[in-house]
Amino acid sequence: MNESDDRNTDAGDGALMAAARALPKGITPGRNLWPAIAEALAEPIADDAVTPQHKGLPHWQRALGMAAAVVLLVGGSSAITWLAVSGGQSSVVPQPVTEPLQLQPVSGSFGAEYELGAEFMAARGNLASQLDAKLDRLSPQARAEVEKNIAEIRASIHQIDRVLADEPDNALLQELLLSAYRDELRLMQRVDGIITSVMRREDI
Amino acid sequence: MNLVKLTALGCMVHASSLSTAAEDVDRRLDAAAAGTVSIENTAGSIMVEGWSRSEVHVTGELGSDVEELVFERDGNVTKVHVDTRRRSGRAISTDLVIRVPQNSSVNVGGVSIDIVISGVRGAQRLSTVSGDVRSEVFEADTDIETVSGDINLQGNESVSRAQLNSVSGDVEVRDVAGEIEVSSVSGDLAVAGGRWSRVKANTTSGDMEFAGELLSNGRVDVETINGDLDLFFNGNLSAEFDIETFNGNVKNCFGPKAERTSRYAPGRELRFTEGDGSSRVTIRTLNGDLSLCKD
Repeated sequence: MNESDDRNTDAGDGALMAAARALPKGITPGRNLWPAIAEALAEPIADDAVTPQHKGLPHWQRALGMAAAVVLLVGGSSAITWLAVSGGQSSVVPQPVTEPLQLQPVSGSFGAEYELGAEFMAARGNLASQLDAKLDRLSPQARAEVEKNIAEIRASIHQIDRVLADEPDNALLQELLLSAYRDELRLMQRVDGIITSVMRREDI
Repeated sequence: MNLVKLTALGCMVHASSLSTAAEDVDRRLDAAAAGTVSIENTAGSIMVEGWSRSEVHVTGELGSDVEELVFERDGNVTKVHVDTRRRSGRAISTDLVIRVPQNSSVNVGGVSIDIVISGVRGAQRLSTVSGDVRSEVFEADTDIETVSGDINLQGNESVSRAQLNSVSGDVEVRDVAGEIEVSSVSGDLAVAGGRWSRVKANTTSGDMEFAGELLSNGRVDVETINGDLDLFFNGNLSAEFDIETFNGNVKNCFGPKAERTSRYAPGRELRFTEGDGSSRVTIRTLNGDLSLCKD
């Protein structure tokens, strides 16, 4: 609203506008409020006090972190899909699998708000199948070692999944579950990579 | 016809006699002073030593079922590959001692080989399925992967970057400095000594011990599912701590007491700032207990 508009208003509006124009253009707080807010967020609570979950970080920050993690995971799954596909070009000739590695199905979801998605689960399954074929080329002891440790990670995933059923919004559990899935993929990728790199020749 | 059969039999006997004798090897090649030495061996052991000559020297014993030792140079890369591809026998275990120019980078891969590296100042990429790895590190990057083998990395406080991954093998790091990323599933992790700008550790059921100095603006991220954690900080410590367990205990000899996070779950969390908080320490565990202390 400009000067000519003001002249067309009634007397009450004119007084109001005059008062409004008299207001300062900016507001400078009497003190910096942020340190107090930060202090309040980080304020320790008595040892025996029961505190809400994850008071140290604002909810939105956690949610953003988890969302970012999900995005990373989805991106990672694409890379894994690529690995699963490109792995077929290796010179390693898989042998018939006598005792397939049991890929235990898991829920594929975590928490109340997030899901890993079909693409991730498909890539995970592909990688597991690919590794399964290559594991047959290891000695029985080495194969057993890998299977035992993959089973250990999967047991962790189930364990966290179970606890999450009771506390679906627990951000720590969501974070750990996501990490456990990531660990499983990394392990499968690493072992796959080692086997591929050291067994290019038909010497085992 | 009989002559053909006899000749064929003679060849088989000859081949058989060849395959039953292990072969000593002692070969040399000129090499780039700061090139790459690529070593592959399926079974046995590889010992690599850095020396002052621009030459690669291979000694040792080839398994009797080894096809051949490929030892050749292509520009900056020297290959030492134990080739067993056309042999059906199992006597392929080969033990080699390989001297390389001390500024070389080395890549060593194997299945069931023990790997020992000393005096090599270039980057190292070492992988084995079931053997142990012992290495000495200087300033260059180190990348070691094993499945069931243990990893032992010794430094001399030189700043470097190390990535060490095992599945069930234990990992031990001593007097290395700089940045490290270490992980296992069930193997234990131990980092002793050193001044660190970045430590990232991850294990499912293995325990983790850390005793070192965290530099200003440094970062420590540790995550376990069931593994216990024991962290001891040497020197001046100035960091924000962000610790959370779902089911574990927290015992700390500095900072405030950990707090329960829920009336129903046993989880605890601990957040505080030590000094001016220039660094950051983040710890997450499901069931692991945590011990946290400093000088």
